[in-house]
Amino acid sequence: MGLSVRLRNFFNKPYNVILVVLFILLVLLTFIPMLSIIMDTFTVHSSEVMRIRGTHLGDFTLYHWRKVLFDGENSLSIFYKPLVNTFAISFATCFIAISFGGIMAWLITRTNIKYKTMLSSLFVVPYIMPAWTLALAWLDFFRNALVGGIPGLFTTLTGIVTPNWFAYGFFPISMVQGLHYAPFAYILIGGILKNMDANLEEAAQLLHASRWQIIKKITLPMVKPAILSTFLLAFSSSMSAFAVPAFLGMPVRYQVLTTQMYRTLQGLNPGYGYLMALILIIIGVSIMLINQKVLDNRKSYTTITGKSSNVALYNLRSLRNPLSYGLMAVLLCVTVIPLITFAIESFVVEPGNYALSNFSTVFWTGEGSVDIANGEPGILRNASIFHGLLNSVMLSVICAFFAGTVGILSGYAIVHKKGTWLSSAVSHLTFFPYLLPSMAMGAIYLSFFSTPHGPIPALYGTFTILALIGSVKYLPFASKSGVNAMLQLGGQIEEAAVIMGIGWWKRMLRIIIPIQKTSFLSGYLLPYISCMRELSLFILLISPSTAVLTTMLFQYNEKGWNQYANAINLLIVVVVLLSNFVVNKLTGASIDKGIG
Amino acid sequence: MPEIVLKNVTKMYGKNAAVDHLNLVIPDHSFITLLGPSGCGKTTTLRMIAGLETPTSGEISINGEIVYSSEKGIDIPPEKRNVGFLFQNYALWPHMTVYQNITFGLENLHWAKDKMAAKAEQLMKMLKISEYKDRYPSELSGGQQQRVAIARTLSTGPKTLFMDEPLSNLDAKLRMEMRTELKRLHMETDSTFIYVTHDQLEAMTLSTKICLIKEGKLQQYAAPLTVYNEPANTFVADFIGNPSINLLTVKAGTTSGDTTELECGTLKLKFVAKEKPDKTSQTPEPGKEYILGIRPENIGISANGKIKAKIYSTLPSGMETVVKLKIDDMFLTSVVFGSVDFKVNEEVGVEIKSDKNIVFSKSEGHDLAVGEIE
Repeated sequence: MGLSVRLRNFFNKPYNVILVVLFILLVLLTFIPMLSIIMDTFTVHSSEVMRIRGTHLGDFTLYHWRKVLFDGENSLSIFYKPLVNTFAISFATCFIAISFGGIMAWLITRTNIKYKTMLSSLFVVPYIMPAWTLALAWLDFFRNALVGGIPGLFTTLTGIVTPNWFAYGFFPISMVQGLHYAPFAYILIGGILKNMDANLEEAAQLLHASRWQIIKKITLPMVKPAILSTFLLAFSSSMSAFAVPAFLGMPVRYQVLTTQMYRTLQGLNPGYGYLMALILIIIGVSIMLINQKVLDNRKSYTTITGKSSNVALYNLRSLRNPLSYGLMAVLLCVTVIPLITFAIESFVVEPGNYALSNFSTVFWTGEGSVDIANGEPGILRNASIFHGLLNSVMLSVICAFFAGTVGILSGYAIVHKKGTWLSSAVSHLTFFPYLLPSMAMGAIYLSFFSTPHGPIPALYGTFTILALIGSVKYLPFASKSGVNAMLQLGGQIEEAAVIMGIGWWKRMLRIIIPIQKTSFLSGYLLPYISCMRELSLFILLISPSTAVLTTMLFQYNEKGWNQYANAINLLIVVVVLLSNFVVNKLTGASIDKGIG
Repeated sequence: MPEIVLKNVTKMYGKNAAVDHLNLVIPDHSFITLLGPSGCGKTTTLRMIAGLETPTSGEISINGEIVYSSEKGIDIPPEKRNVGFLFQNYALWPHMTVYQNITFGLENLHWAKDKMAAKAEQLMKMLKISEYKDRYPSELSGGQQQRVAIARTLSTGPKTLFMDEPLSNLDAKLRMEMRTELKRLHMETDSTFIYVTHDQLEAMTLSTKICLIKEGKLQQYAAPLTVYNEPANTFVADFIGNPSINLLTVKAGTTSGDTTELECGTLKLKFVAKEKPDKTSQTPEPGKEYILGIRPENIGISANGKIKAKIYSTLPSGMETVVKLKIDDMFLTSVVFGSVDFKVNEEVGVEIKSDKNIVFSKSEGHDLAVGEIE
């Protein structure tokens, strides 16, 4: 058979076409930009020409590497201190997320605590809301006057001045991120606890193990994989988080790698920033590699079918009521109260003065006057905010559309050609963006697309680059749900249609997609919601005309216009929660499904 | 002295009774099977005796000691009942090696290291799993996992062993092998076995007594052959035996002494009741409808049989042949020893052998008489 015939046969199959196209696109959108960022750590950039003496734009230099890594005191403050802070925060975040989420999972799945459904839904709200929501709420609540500015609600109400360590820096950053990722631990650990065969614990009980021994020797080792993956996910996420450390660390100049990256890339040393991005990527990739190594296959669950009974719920006895009410109160505090605070703060004219006479709708509907925020009109009349909202929604819809659709197609093709070289290459490539910390990925695109490459024009500052990076970044979620859906479906359903001579388009649209619509829809939903609340991915790439709500929020907050920041935040949270609610009602797909 | 006694044990799930006023006496050293279709409450019964499930009411005592009583408010936890439990899915701990799985119970009893090792060695040798000592459960086959589970259950030397469908995950050949071994194990360990299964063959071959349950209610509690030959009702008759018993609706005719004429379509049979020592046979009343149960192996096919039938299908399996016969609109199943391949639609003669045919009440289903058919 001639090569041309073989090629034609190969490309006659839709899944082969999909795989080849995806392979080329993904190499172009992830791998090649990676090379570009490596180059950039050795290059003199325009803003650096003056600083690095005797060089010209684009020259090769080791300056960045030397300054960031090997320059004593200087490197210490530029790189090593933020690195240590990053690690400290990531560890603390993991600790808080796992202990809080784990205890919650145990309470919901294994005890007779009250209001399980309610508690379960409330508990995942911080995960649905953008991470910085709690950070802003923390500021609104615990801000102090020590670093300048106006004290928050707590100080106003109680007269107690919050110390700096409590209001800013390490402690609140870890707390806020810990609370944000706790739902993740809850979902993973709760899932295992719920599906774990009760016989495993009963067998131990019959063999004379005490309750504590059962937890220590059976239950904990069983949930260890879940704890580990929560740890790795929370660790790599909080390592690459930007918004929370920016909001809570900036007032006391508490720097982490991402904030440092933002500073240098926006400032005079992009070379430093690119280097830090590269280091973040290396750490991120190594964590995922460790993840794969550590999960020991030998001890994996054996799949013996059989009925497994439900475990008897632990009776909390006299603790039942206090725990139920206490937990409910705490969860209301971290979910509902922030929203109320944003609402209140957005109506207060003179910050810190909560007298009724000081309340006004000027930040919502005011026309803008010179004495307030440089004449910025209220957000409901503010053209630029409307523009931002429009951008946000449009961007989210576009990213969700591309990520979701490519996710379905890649899932279809990967499963179809399972076991081939091309299939596993595409499978790994679709997962690769997941390993890239958001801001580092922003830096990669900044580096690669700031100049034209062949037919690709310079995209910096355009809407296209935002849509591109968003679609690629969220592809892993969509692709994962696509692959799972296809694996679950199995090949025979489609083969039945192939035998009857039904064409590919019709097979996809009338058979495969309708059957798995819930999983496919969640492949659209996740990118949409993530994109709606994304800040660090876009912050390096926006220009005034392409600003989205989140970046505007960040800028307002930087300028100290708290009321606007709060109002916009409220807007984002409402949009996100509403979208989640609508999709949940329409499709039944929900984040906390299956626990509680 | 009886080992385990259940008195009026009831388990309610909402408004449904999973187990309904169950009374059972399980003698020492016996091998009892709880048999019934899925969802009949047999596993629940087992779990209640083990203490993994709490009954709604009733009383359970093991070895003379009351372990549960709703009236007296006693509920002894499972670990104090000194019972072993073999789960259907084995419930081996996936993060522990075979050795660790087996010694876990001994550790909890604070055995010395060397004693523990010796005991484990002995168990592994007995169950032929010594070479898998350091493997994890996921690296073992189903049959090997099964043995590890048995070793683990036996490690603490329980006087009573509960098994919940332990063979249902094994393939047919291995299942046969394990049945033999379980029976030997019962002899060697000299303990009481209570075994849950929905497989009537397993129950027949293994147990000293079968306890047949349907919808939470006890149907019959007797030795396997008694259950087979003198089923207490049509449900038991139908559940036990493969292929299933023939159940024919018959109309009683004239009676003289022990002999009753039974009419079934065009078929006219003479039923001669046999007196049983423990039960008196009731004589069918003329004109009433009854159900007649005939085991397939008691229907013989021969040229000189009085009843004429047509062959509907034959299923030869080597050792025996299952033949489906058609008499007018009625079907009968027969089992013939050896491989006989009849031609479809061939006409044959049929005779009903044996004196173990049963007449059941049609309205209530319980058994009335056992006897011969002439």
